[in-house]
Amino acid sequence: MQHGSREVRGGMAASALHDDHGPQQIQNPGLHDDFFDQMLSGLPSAWPDLGNPKSPWDASAAQKLFRIDLAGKPPDESQPEAATEGLRYASYDEATMLASRLSQSQGSGGSSPTGEAMMLQLNNHHILPAVGLSRTAVGGGVGESGLLPLPLTLGSCGAADPRIIVETPRDEMDPPFESPDHNGGEELYNGLGGSIRAAQPGTGQHFHHPQQGASMSSQNYGGAAAPAGVGQGPAASASSGGGTPPQKQKVRARRGQATDPHSIAERLRRERIAERMKALQELVPNGNKTDKASMLDEIIDYVKFLQLQVKVLSMSRLGGAAAVAPLVADVSTEGPGGRAGANGAAAGGNNDSLRATEHRVAKMMEEDMGSAMQYLQGKGLCLMPISLASAISSAACRPSAGGLVPAPPAPPTSAAAAAAESPAASSSASALTVQSAAADATAPKR
Amino acid sequence: MDSKSSACSSPNPNPTLGPSKLMLAFRFLRALSLVRRTTPASSRTCRGRRIERAAYASMAYTAGASRAWSRAVLRRLHHRARRRAVAPRRLSTTAGNRAEALRRLVPGGGGMDYCTLLEETADYIKCLSMQVELMQGIVDSASSYGP
Repeated sequence: MQHGSREVRGGMAASALHDDHGPQQIQNPGLHDDFFDQMLSGLPSAWPDLGNPKSPWDASAAQKLFRIDLAGKPPDESQPEAATEGLRYASYDEATMLASRLSQSQGSGGSSPTGEAMMLQLNNHHILPAVGLSRTAVGGGVGESGLLPLPLTLGSCGAADPRIIVETPRDEMDPPFESPDHNGGEELYNGLGGSIRAAQPGTGQHFHHPQQGASMSSQNYGGAAAPAGVGQGPAASASSGGGTPPQKQKVRARRGQATDPHSIAERLRRERIAERMKALQELVPNGNKTDKASMLDEIIDYVKFLQLQVKVLSMSRLGGAAAVAPLVADVSTEGPGGRAGANGAAAGGNNDSLRATEHRVAKMMEEDMGSAMQYLQGKGLCLMPISLASAISSAACRPSAGGLVPAPPAPPTSAAAAAAESPAASSSASALTVQSAAADATAPKR
Repeated sequence: MDSKSSACSSPNPNPTLGPSKLMLAFRFLRALSLVRRTTPASSRTCRGRRIERAAYASMAYTAGASRAWSRAVLRRLHHRARRRAVAPRRLSTTAGNRAEALRRLVPGGGGMDYCTLLEETADYIKCLSMQVELMQGIVDSASSYGP
């Protein structure tokens, strides 16, 4: 707060110092140059005190205005004071006209207090962009005169306005207000002036749009708060350099919170990948590797291993031809939906005579061992070596009246396998014959 | 194999629990018996390859069409059936790009992002291990018939 007033005083002093530096004279608080007269003539509303060059524009008045706003009063409250000083604007359009006039009077250089008073009023009307623009116009006008210290202070003076008057959300605007003053003020100023002219008929929104040919700082003016652009504002001023580091820290803090949509998407993606990797870790044996690369290697090796196992097992299945048949028959009967094969086999020869069954099975064995086995299984029969059959029959002793000896599951399968392994079909046929013979208590051996 | 294409793809009764072992066993054994019935006994290697294809087909049908890898497997099988071209590809893991090697291993892995690839790999491993378990079980029970 004191800082602001100090800056104002410094600005005034500098202007006094540099009075003789160039054709463009900086106005001292007295403000009795042609530019000021121009301004006054353009004012639609009455600025009674402005007509008097001396009155509200001395340092004390300016300080009073500053202090008023420094105290944090809302702009409306300060208005009565400003009104007493004669600073009152009727409408926003008038403000734009004033700003254009400011730009027009570039050659003579702006008067800082005038500009600031205007800025005060503009701020009172909550027209921040115009503030910046007008101030820039002022600063630009002054800057081009080549008097750097003055623009510096002017800039800082101007910075005091938005910082103080506009208060809370405009904190970030400090550096932008400071920086653009000195950077090729002319082109900035020209761009802004052009845009101001263009925006005359428009509303405040026009000021918010980035002006063509304007630099980033003008965009800062246009935008409400552009912390990102702040640090990137044209450098080359000490005050702006002092202002930017705290700005950049704020930006960094925000980005650390990952408000950036790209980083959020990235984080989500990484989380999903981590989830999948964890699931894979449980599936793959020896998946306790912490390293992602080695985990991927394990996964790849395991997939290769499984595929190799499938290949090997499918190759090895060729030998046990008949062995699969009983299982297939079992599954076919138990499987969902049932199996036509089993039904067919079952319905095939329940009541046939044994001999017919034998012939049938013998024929089937010549075609396909599996279906033959299936057929037998369906009938509850099996193949067994003759020796075993005779052993069983002798153990069973009593031949049953009719029908076949129902074979218990375990030995018959092994018998079937044994029978299947015998190369000659006749021996297996004889085994069957033996079984039936055993049932019939006859032993027609072939 | 036309015989394999005749196998109907019934929808998976419990999609959330993953492919069911019973369905896999049923399909595979049916396919296996079909293979054994149709191929001549002399051509052993041919039968081996057919059995392997039967294994993958039953896996893919059991997994359902909801999985990218199962769709790719069935696509490959149907195309091979038409073109009769069997070209086993030798896969090698280069130390550089593991993701690429994984893509080559998992069917249909070429056209998906890394995240989906990992998901498909997990499902593929599940189905593969179930198939291997089944086949091993069959071989074990078959070998127990021996003397």
